Amino acid sequence: MNKSKKKITADILSYFILISGSLMMIVPFLWMISTSLKTADATFVLPPKFIPDHITLNNYKNVINSFPILRFLFNSIFVSVTITLGQLLICSMAAYVFARIDFKGRNALFLIYLGTLMIPSQATLTPQYILMNHFGWVNTYKALILPGMFSAFGTFLMRQYFLTIPKSLEEAAFIDGASHLKVFFRIIMPLSKPGLATLTITSFMESWNSFLWPLIITSDDKHITLPLALTRMQGRWHTDYNSLMAGTLITVIPILIVYLLAQKQFIKGITMTGIKG
Amino acid sequence: MVGDKGIKKILIICLFLLPSLIGLIVFKGIPIIWSLILSFTKWDLIGSPRWIGLGNYKNIILDKDFWGALAHTLYFILGYLPLVIIFALLTALLLNRKIKGITAFRAIYFVPVISSWVAVSMIWRWLYNSQYGLINYLLSLIGITGPAWLQDPHYAMPAIIMTSVWKDTGFLMIMFLAGLQNISEDYYEAAEIDGASGIKKFFSITLPLLGPTTFFVLIISIINSFQVFDQIWVMTQTEPTAAYTQVLVTQIYNYGFKYYKMGYASALSWVLFLLIFVFTLIQNKLQKRWVNYE
Amino acid sequence: MFKKTITFIAAAALMVTSLAGCGSKASSAANSDEPVTIKYLSYSAQPDHIKDLEKMIAAFEKENPKIKVKYETCLYDDYFTKLQTLAASKTLPDVFEINYENFVNYASKGSLLDLSDVISKDKSFDPSVYDKTSYDAYKYQGKQYGLVEKFSTCLLFYNKDLFDKAGVAYPNDNWTWKDELAAAQKLTDAKKGIWGTYSPIQFYEFYKTIAQNGGSMFSNDMKTVTINSKQNVETLQWMIDKINKYHVTPSDAEMSGQKNEDMFKAGKIAMLRTGTWMFSYFKDAKFKWDVALEPGNTQKAHHFFSEGVAISKDTKQAEAAWKWTKYFTSNKDSVQTRVETGWDLPAVSDSSVYDSFLKQTPPDNRKAVLDALKTLVVPPVVENEAELADTVNKELDAARLGKKTPQKALDDAKTEIEKLIQ
Repeated sequence: MNKSKKKITADILSYFILISGSLMMIVPFLWMISTSLKTADATFVLPPKFIPDHITLNNYKNVINSFPILRFLFNSIFVSVTITLGQLLICSMAAYVFARIDFKGRNALFLIYLGTLMIPSQATLTPQYILMNHFGWVNTYKALILPGMFSAFGTFLMRQYFLTIPKSLEEAAFIDGASHLKVFFRIIMPLSKPGLATLTITSFMESWNSFLWPLIITSDDKHITLPLALTRMQGRWHTDYNSLMAGTLITVIPILIVYLLAQKQFIKGITMTGIKG
Repeated sequence: MVGDKGIKKILIICLFLLPSLIGLIVFKGIPIIWSLILSFTKWDLIGSPRWIGLGNYKNIILDKDFWGALAHTLYFILGYLPLVIIFALLTALLLNRKIKGITAFRAIYFVPVISSWVAVSMIWRWLYNSQYGLINYLLSLIGITGPAWLQDPHYAMPAIIMTSVWKDTGFLMIMFLAGLQNISEDYYEAAEIDGASGIKKFFSITLPLLGPTTFFVLIISIINSFQVFDQIWVMTQTEPTAAYTQVLVTQIYNYGFKYYKMGYASALSWVLFLLIFVFTLIQNKLQKRWVNYE
Repeated sequence: MFKKTITFIAAAALMVTSLAGCGSKASSAANSDEPVTIKYLSYSAQPDHIKDLEKMIAAFEKENPKIKVKYETCLYDDYFTKLQTLAASKTLPDVFEINYENFVNYASKGSLLDLSDVISKDKSFDPSVYDKTSYDAYKYQGKQYGLVEKFSTCLLFYNKDLFDKAGVAYPNDNWTWKDELAAAQKLTDAKKGIWGTYSPIQFYEFYKTIAQNGGSMFSNDMKTVTINSKQNVETLQWMIDKINKYHVTPSDAEMSGQKNEDMFKAGKIAMLRTGTWMFSYFKDAKFKWDVALEPGNTQKAHHFFSEGVAISKDTKQAEAAWKWTKYFTSNKDSVQTRVETGWDLPAVSDSSVYDSFLKQTPPDNRKAVLDALKTLVVPPVVENEAELADTVNKELDAARLGKKTPQKALDDAKTEIEKLIQ
């Protein structure tokens, strides 16, 4: 009796905090939506109006007509999905070694991995470009995708996640004579859905929004990604904010979809007592 | 530790680790070493690099703009880091409960993360507007006259910090959420049987078992906040307070891409690297005490 | 174990990189009958003039069937990042647009093709088709390294409706700063959020405004820094006074992120000093507006902004590149398209070209654009233009925020600039 009362109070409190927090989170986003439906002169009215007097879809039409949006959408999706899938596999495998298989120099190597995250990308942009040029990969999908697939961030993330998985399950399997390969694919990976989901979200999002690298490595419309194309709405002397917001919203939808699908995996994992024998 | 031994072990390590390692060496390692070499040169990008040894590093130490940028960066980190981690953890704990509509809430809290900084900066500029902005309006309701946030040297960085916390909370929140999933209910049940309160449960079960996740969140946040760039660039570069919010990476960007001084920019990057490395080591040592890997 | 791993990794890495190296393009042996392709990079074509560029390219390719022009554009803000990356990897496009300030930098570093050769080979080329001053601007150390593509300038834009409402006479070509201030005071209506006048306080605006008071940043031979002269301090004080003392110009806080051009278009600013490139943006403004020469103090001065087209020194298609460069900048059809679509103005000597430009409205007083050229001031060019601009802007910002007096700000600017040009 006491317990459920406690739970109800906790729930009400939770709702209160969550809702007020949600307002703070979403108000700017709502403004984005409202701007995308306005005309330019209605945009810079102070105090601002959230609900436009005249709703117009012109901005969306403008975005869709301004450039081959399907092509760019395809480019972005192709690049981001490939990078994400690549990371899921490559980073998890490396993370497994760092989390579970000891060898001399493992910690030093991991530190080096972390070290690669500590150099700002602005410093490696030009050398990376020269390297791609040397390979003959300028303005190719290869150059857009490959550098992004080998991120130390993903390895770090999965390693930490693997470290939260209790070893008891593997130990049972090893005693039964299983190999690392089996343990990895049969035990560790299935138990890592939340971690993999997180990696999916971050990897997809980062590659989707990536701007500076695609800017310098692509030189024609065939390979341009959507966020990069969107910057074209920002002219040198004036910005078509309404179309920019419309375009941004279009770009944001795929990430939202990936997020919603992925976060479904954020469900409680195993219970220790659940697995016996 | 059981498992494959000997040759089999080596093969497994190769199979699992090599793709990642080779890719990292080629696509990150080579450019990184290159930039290290460049840091000892003078290069205007158009001609050829010219070796000048420690010249750039000497100039960095003598450059008062560098120390200013360093101070601003540290200011940002000290303001941003504690806030974003606490908010992210609290939000994750809240969103980990089984209440109705939790999916919708999780989506809403993530929305700032997926918005672009261009859009975010426009909206927040309006919010920070000294006469018509929502923030000063709310402050006026409780009798405070708000400052001209982005145009006031004292308040520009705090404003950026607040916006950054708002935007990044959702990102760190999902890390914590993922970590929370692996804390078995059994622990909590056992604790409750022993009569432990919510707070006690948090500190003796949740926090320790979140160890690896917290470690990750802290390190990544340190690394990222030292490299803060996007928000500074869109929020204050066109304001007169630009000089008061210069951080290390805006400097690197300017020298590398605007002033044709790639050698100097590379040296700056490596100084930044050293700073991040040292801070990470310190944080690592501090955390070795309370990380629990089961 | 570790050692072995490292050796293995190093060997593997070497293998991979050498394999990858095999993928690089072999240089194409050009068959002299095959069409050659040249690459052209532009920033001013974005976002409004891509179709115009394509039209010019199509016409050019028709006249020159053996040449194909592949164009690439990006935003002005990203342009120089991109250009430098290309320069650093020695893959500059055959032809590219470059503004006057950066032209000197690239020319002095040897990345541009000396055009003397192609010019002497081209019997049909007549340099007098260009306006002489602009043509000569793209010389470096006496040799021609680029062709002038276009120019633009800044004028005083004014909102006629606001003037009518306040009963103030329109600006004319004889106005001085005093006239501007007097009008601005009558036009400013704080309650309605209307401001009398606006001009930004930043590097580009600054070097022109100080010229209107007889000052300059450098001595004529560019060897002495004169930025903190008495006239310049006076000028900076006047610019700041418009905000803080007379309240006819909005402060940054009062603008809070809005762009001055948007405020003008929304009828919130009565007089605006801005560029002729804004003609098309203001075309559909909901009020009547016009332009006038900028008021000066002791003399008049106007901007001369210019873009040129240069050829990369490493181009493998010098002849084709030259043909396109020449065509793009001075061919009659090219020039006509440019004028009609408002893609700034070509710098040609044939003044009839400007006829169609002068006939377009708004604004009515388009001849001010050409008149402004009589009192032009070019950007002070040093090797490191961007750094110079940022340095000056930092001091101007400090003065604007009240952190430094104009005298101190300009004194500090002088010290910083002297360090730069050492």
